[in-house]
Amino acid sequence: MSFSNKKSALKQGLIRCHQCGCIVQLSAIALEGKHLAPCPRCDGQLHTRLPNSFQRTAALLCSAFVLYIPANVFPIMIVTKFGVPEQHTIISGIISLINSGMIPIAILVFIASILVPLIKMLGLLILLWAVRYRWQRNMRLLALVYRMIAFVGRWSMLDIFMISILVSIVSSEALEQVLAGSAATAFAGVVVLTMLATNSFDPRLLWDRLGAQ
Amino acid sequence: MRDNTLNTLAYEACPQCDLLLKSEVVAVGIKAHCPRCGCQLYRPRHYSVERTFALSLTGLILFIPVNLLPLVGILVLGNAQEASLWSGVSTLYVEGLWGVAILVFLASMAFPFLKISLSLLISGHLYFHRPHRYLNVWMRTLQHLDEWAMLEVYTLGIIVACVKLASRTELKFGLGLAAFIALLLVIVMLTSSLDEYLFWRRIEALNKSNSKHNHLNR
Repeated sequence: MSFSNKKSALKQGLIRCHQCGCIVQLSAIALEGKHLAPCPRCDGQLHTRLPNSFQRTAALLCSAFVLYIPANVFPIMIVTKFGVPEQHTIISGIISLINSGMIPIAILVFIASILVPLIKMLGLLILLWAVRYRWQRNMRLLALVYRMIAFVGRWSMLDIFMISILVSIVSSEALEQVLAGSAATAFAGVVVLTMLATNSFDPRLLWDRLGAQ
Repeated sequence: MRDNTLNTLAYEACPQCDLLLKSEVVAVGIKAHCPRCGCQLYRPRHYSVERTFALSLTGLILFIPVNLLPLVGILVLGNAQEASLWSGVSTLYVEGLWGVAILVFLASMAFPFLKISLSLLISGHLYFHRPHRYLNVWMRTLQHLDEWAMLEVYTLGIIVACVKLASRTELKFGLGLAAFIALLLVIVMLTSSLDEYLFWRRIEALNKSNSKHNHLNR
């Protein structure tokens, strides 16, 4: 038996288990109802491609886009100084950091809570577009976009963690009190949904139609 | 039943573009990349099992002071106010943001703990050559929850919070913070020393020798 190393494994009747990485012959795997039998090495569920990858990613991405609006409109942090409450959205928090001269931290927060979620959602949109309309150019660039999104995903949790430290440390009723606002839930939702969307996207779909036309 | 894996035929496939590749032995210190999409395929490590075992044991011990001692504190009118991993979670919960509270709890406490203990279980069994029927399940769980343990991101959160507070009040750094930084280093080293490719091969070999052993005993 010989296989070509110019074509994908699936086109040659082989499946790579996405959990343990072993190569299994599709013809040697029994069907159990609608599903394939478990992987002979790791006992995990085998899939030729992640199930309903396109639909799941699109649905999760849409929800993330919707949640992105309340995350930026509503206050994420309410700082009460001497009894006067002051509401901060994500953007006004960054502006107040710039005003008090903490430019490097302002840049860091800007990247983590505005740039990264936007790049992630736009990147996933481009990837879905590329799968849907069978792009065959700049494939390596698309692969790089996928890897960037997967790497960068978790870092937007920065703002949420910062708030969780601030609320517990600055809670004296006398001088100053920090409360988390409703945007925190929405923003956490954006981060989780985009991470789930990235996980359910199967980058192999990009390459499957290569040379098919 | 187990002879329908083709790894004996020496083939691999790229996880991101599914290109079929011939297996090659990669030396330690070299990263193998997919020729078509450029994703990193394999990066072998020295003493992967031994290092993972030692590091996860260290991490589990460090987990106790990190969760018990306060991380940072401030002085307000002579009173010290301190924040620990748990106080952030409970304050968020009391404020009614239970969704965020649960997420912070999972990402900063539950998943790092699970990650370290699963690494310890798996590398321990591999180190002492003890087969276990749940090794597969542990390894798959570890792979799935890996990216949800976010201590590195939490560290950045501590830094930003400290810079924001430092302009107004005097900060006090607790012993907990030192333990936290140590735990962070251990987890980063653990992640890079755990060689999934090697671990799966060792688990497979262990399971195979176990089933052969049972066969002979019968």
